[in-house]
Amino acid sequence: MKREAKRREAKKREVKKREVKKREAKKRKAEAVTVRDLSYTYPDGSKALEKVNMKVYEGERVVIVGPNGAGKTTFLLHLNGTLRGTGGEVKLFGRTLGEMKREEVVKEVGMVFQDPDDQLFMPTLFDDVAFGPINLGLQESEVRERVRKVLALLGLSGYEDRAPHHLSFGEKKKASLAAVLAMEPRVLVLDEPTANLDPRSRTELIGILNRLNEREGITMVIATHDVNAIPELADRIYALNRTVIESGTPWEIFFDGELLKKNNLDVPDVFKIFEVLQCFGFSCESLPLSLDEAVAGLTRTIETEGGHIHLHIHEHTHEGVERWRRKYEHH
Amino acid sequence: MVEYPEIDLFSSLDSPIHRFDPRAKIVAFLCLIFSVVLVQDLRLAFAGLLGSLAFLAASRLPLRFVSQHIKWVSFFIVPFLLILPFTVKGDEIFRFYALKMTYEGLEYGVLVALRAYSAVVLVLPVVATTRFDLTIKALDRLKVPNMLVQMLMFSYRYIFVFVVEFQRTWRAMEARGFKLRTSPSLYALRTVGKALGTLFVRSYERGERVYQALRSRGYTGTRNPKTLVEFKMQARDYALAVLIVGFAVALHAVSFVFARGV
Ligand SMILES: Nc1ncnc2c1ncn2[C@@H]1O[C@H](COP(=O)(O)OP(=O)(O)O)[C@@H](O)[C@H]1O
Ligand SMILES: [Mg+2]
Repeated sequence: MKREAKRREAKKREVKKREVKKREAKKRKAEAVTVRDLSYTYPDGSKALEKVNMKVYEGERVVIVGPNGAGKTTFLLHLNGTLRGTGGEVKLFGRTLGEMKREEVVKEVGMVFQDPDDQLFMPTLFDDVAFGPINLGLQESEVRERVRKVLALLGLSGYEDRAPHHLSFGEKKKASLAAVLAMEPRVLVLDEPTANLDPRSRTELIGILNRLNEREGITMVIATHDVNAIPELADRIYALNRTVIESGTPWEIFFDGELLKKNNLDVPDVFKIFEVLQCFGFSCESLPLSLDEAVAGLTRTIETEGGHIHLHIHEHTHEGVERWRRKYEHH
Repeated sequence: MVEYPEIDLFSSLDSPIHRFDPRAKIVAFLCLIFSVVLVQDLRLAFAGLLGSLAFLAASRLPLRFVSQHIKWVSFFIVPFLLILPFTVKGDEIFRFYALKMTYEGLEYGVLVALRAYSAVVLVLPVVATTRFDLTIKALDRLKVPNMLVQMLMFSYRYIFVFVVEFQRTWRAMEARGFKLRTSPSLYALRTVGKALGTLFVRSYERGERVYQALRSRGYTGTRNPKTLVEFKMQARDYALAVLIVGFAVALHAVSFVFARGV
């Protein structure tokens, strides 16, 4: 029994080691996106970005968090040259974006806008997904093949002749992703991909994005304020509010209570619940950020504690819960 | 649910007109429309209307759908039918105080109405029997100026978005107790004006974002948006085209003969 547990423990350690290795491998990779001192002021004078610095490595998933109006959308629009900074520079795979041809940029960076109605501008789904590849100058047969492939990937086969207004919101969201993926970009930029999605579509979309990242090695830059999605989507986080406030792995960001409080950042619900459990005497090595981690963590704890977990109310419980409550009262 | 103004609601039915190649359909019916609106003779205009109705019948579009569209156009046609008989000079039929109905006026009014109804009746088999995006693509293949094609294509796409936004705004207003019907006051009208203004600004902003999205996928503005679509003329299409254009020509050939004969 004990040996079994030990073996599992060893296996888990190995998995973790492998993960760390993978992350380091990613770090050694080329810089896909490099942003240096980027500033942007809208024509009406509102300063949206100020000296933003960011590095995204090839194959990495970077999430940008920040409150409404923090400049996330503005920032993303710089990554394919839609907006040109009033200062600083953006580099794509080492080349200055301003010096690249529009076609080259469009080919490298796929941009998924927040509102799918902005993005689906053609009368049918087929036309929309074919739009990008046609503009890349591909042969008709190649265009058709790409449309077929990408629609199959997103489970939209058979929807070719549908008009966008006959798609559900979730389908529209997938359709706009399909339209961008058909161009086979190396960098995928997504603005609030999970916003307004029902739970099932949301889970599905997160799954699709992660599969794309794993299998095709697509680099991702994602703006979101869906904190619960971050642990599943982020290798690294940048907290943005006009400028980059903090950056780090999800662990580095979410375990820094001071930082969270200072920047009005929220944490995943799972994390909060386990913090409460801690007040009731639950002990574990590290608090989970996602449901998967929660399951793994619980299993580990129960195994090492002899088959059960023990919760109770002790003298500091009440105080602890109060402190916990205050931590998340932002206003 | 949202009700969309869908002109191609019945484009998935099956009829000879539905199966007609969209390009040939547009060209042939356009010829016929020009033909019927240029007819000068009352009897021929009548024949034109009968022919047009025959083509409409061949398209098997539901009567309700057809009458709905014709009803709207009647608002424009009927006034002509009422006014012209009293305004054209000629032989008097009867007089009602200062109003004088003339034979020529009546004839002219009926002629105008017949032509207009024929044209309307012919538009339906063209636009309602093909998916509208295919109609636009056919126009593109027919070398209609690209600017026009783009405008049609994007208008067609965004009219639906606009309708949804309008309905959303309207419902939000109604949800807060706003009623136009029972109180068409100055206040109410001003409110509607403001709501429309907001919608207009929102559409403008959307336009900007759509343009960004277009550019992000390689849109350059010229010869764009390109589409892939296969149209293929078959013997059947040629035959139907010849029939329609033949009828169009016949209307005028006959009137030519009439003119000679008289
Ligand atoms: N088209 C625009 N013109 C002027 N100001 C804008 C425009 N778009 C956004 N802003 C301003 O820039 C700031 C950043 O906006 P945005 O990038 O949309 O933030 P986020 O996506 O993080 O919510 C906001 O203060 C917003 O009011
Ligand atoms: Mg935004």
